Amino acid sequence: MPYALVAPIVVVLGAILGYPVYYLVRLSLEKYGLFELIQHHGTYIGLHNFGSVLHDSVFWHTLLRTVVFTVANVTLTMVLGVLIALLLVRVSTWVRLLVTAGLVLVWSMPPVVAVQVWSWMTNVQNGILNYLLTELHVGNFFQHNWYLTTFSQYSMVTTLIVWGALPFVAITVYAALSQVPHELVEAAQIDGARAWRVLKDVTLPVLTPVLLILTSLSIIWDFGVFTQPYLLIGPGQQTTSNYLMSVYLYVEGYGQTNFGRGAAISILMLAIVAAMSVVYVRRMLRVGEEQ
Amino acid sequence: MRYRILAVLAAALALGVVAATAGASGQRAQANTLTVWLQVDAQNGWPNVVAAANSAFEASHPGWTVNVEYQQWTDHLQKFDATIAGNDTPDVIEMGNTEMTKYMASGAFANITADKSQFANSSKWLEGLTASSTYHNKLYGVPYYAGSRVITYRSDLFAKAGIKKVPKSLSQFQADLVKVGKMEKHVKGFAPLYVGGEDWYTALGFVFDYNGSIATYKHGKWIGTLDSKNSIKGLTRFKQFFDATQPKSTANLDGSNPYPYTVFSQGKTAANYGPAWYTCCTGKKYAKVTKQFVMPSHVAGQPMPGFLGGSDLSVPAQSSNKAEALAWIADFTSTTSEKALQAKGNIPNATNLLTNAVNDRAAAKSWFVPQATNWVNVENGNILKTMLAQLLSGQLSVTKAAEVASQNIAQTLNQS
Repeated sequence: MPYALVAPIVVVLGAILGYPVYYLVRLSLEKYGLFELIQHHGTYIGLHNFGSVLHDSVFWHTLLRTVVFTVANVTLTMVLGVLIALLLVRVSTWVRLLVTAGLVLVWSMPPVVAVQVWSWMTNVQNGILNYLLTELHVGNFFQHNWYLTTFSQYSMVTTLIVWGALPFVAITVYAALSQVPHELVEAAQIDGARAWRVLKDVTLPVLTPVLLILTSLSIIWDFGVFTQPYLLIGPGQQTTSNYLMSVYLYVEGYGQTNFGRGAAISILMLAIVAAMSVVYVRRMLRVGEEQ
Repeated sequence: MRYRILAVLAAALALGVVAATAGASGQRAQANTLTVWLQVDAQNGWPNVVAAANSAFEASHPGWTVNVEYQQWTDHLQKFDATIAGNDTPDVIEMGNTEMTKYMASGAFANITADKSQFANSSKWLEGLTASSTYHNKLYGVPYYAGSRVITYRSDLFAKAGIKKVPKSLSQFQADLVKVGKMEKHVKGFAPLYVGGEDWYTALGFVFDYNGSIATYKHGKWIGTLDSKNSIKGLTRFKQFFDATQPKSTANLDGSNPYPYTVFSQGKTAANYGPAWYTCCTGKKYAKVTKQFVMPSHVAGQPMPGFLGGSDLSVPAQSSNKAEALAWIADFTSTTSEKALQAKGNIPNATNLLTNAVNDRAAAKSWFVPQATNWVNVENGNILKTMLAQLLSGQLSVTKAAEVASQNIAQTLNQS
């Protein structure tokens, strides 16, 4: 009887998770290009795909770039998100309503649409950003190309991603802040603790579980982010010198029609994300047990 | 409450880990619907020609409807691959002539050698396009149209600058552009020529003009030749020309954002170098002063070799409507259709339809990419664009950038 009760979920998980993962692993062990795609049948080649990826210097450069990119994005998102949440607690009700509404609007914007709007705003020839900065006498931004170097390309992508990720973090942290027991804060204040001390020793410890989960989620999202870098920088501008992991995976797998190699890269990515999140997940589990 | 937040977040975390792969799916074609994939060029430039072919086909095939789906050049191959995986390919697909070889070699298209005679002018098809549709002496595509590249310019500005004749040599053209640029200095952001530095069709025209090349096939292996003496000469001349006539901010633009003709229509440039149909979109204000000539070579009196782009129409091997697909292609490449395409600034698919139009004259001297199975991977890997951005921005010297690109091209072409 217990097996019958658990059967539906086992079947569903097997279908939506088990089979694709099995297929991915199988694909990563095969030569599977356009010819094999048309035949609907790959050729088993063992670990060759993994070997060739791990011996590709592009893979290691891309990995390093993606890690730096992820750290920068997650840090910015978390710090700014928490700051906005702390601000939300202090402002008057109508300001809070306005800010929350603004955040929800940002959140509800589909990434592809956001990318298009940003791309128009920052267009070298007709973008409003260059126009405004020049008119405001910030400097001569006439026909300034915001996508000239890899660094400036990723500054734009980071701005867009952090902008899009802030609402989720800010609203969740704000909700969690309402769980901070008021009497604890009051007691700390009576004992002479200043704002910073209260934040460090009362508020943040209470927030820790939520912050841990948000950070893990952000790491997973930002490490594998594809839409923003691929579309904002442009399909025609993706090169070995500015790949992120997901773009590298897309170009190798889909662009070059080498699905076996693409599958190998995606398994490596999965392993890396799992390794990066394991610290957080373990602490999260420990926090869960303590409660 | 607190645990609920945690639970929701934990669930989201679990989903986040899972959501690593995604698949694409298409709708299965209904019975008696012919699915045709054309590029957006047709949608923007000659929708009436498409409509006419559809009516002709539907009239001769009662009960059939044609469903034309317009595709972008940047991702149509990835979408096509997805339909192959799902056994749901279109019945007709437009392919760029540089994209054909890999797909023909892999068996993606139906062999239509025996059906050749049912297409208009098929004995006079352009050699370049026929070659791009042929693999191991078998025909896998029908030539659709070709396009050479010409200079589209503002005759009023050239006249105002005192330029009476169209330039006969590259250095003359460069001097003319500099002159126009000086004259129009008061127009903010004015560029004498607007192309986009990463437009590799332009840059490689210079390479071929100096007898350079991209890659050659020797002893069963591809060898990259962009770093050969002649190719370097061409690239160096290209950089000089670019520096003299175009703003540095366009060094890493590929001419799709913004489109060169958009800049033209805004009055911010005196000339574009691109397909002859650019006249479509240079704006009402300049319609009367939009003129064209053939890009001159560094050798006076000669044209610069231009990229002979073009498209072919193929029937995917998995299509179950092969006969209807071929009938539609025959309607779409009829003499009437091809003449209508010609009127829009394209080169028709057969030599007997050629005229003395600027486009047809430009096609007299042309170059083409190496016919290697993996050439399309060089395009998809943006190897040429990277090289151009590097050498134009000064990030790498011309020689160094060409060496890197040449190695990458050889490596890509030789991949099994």
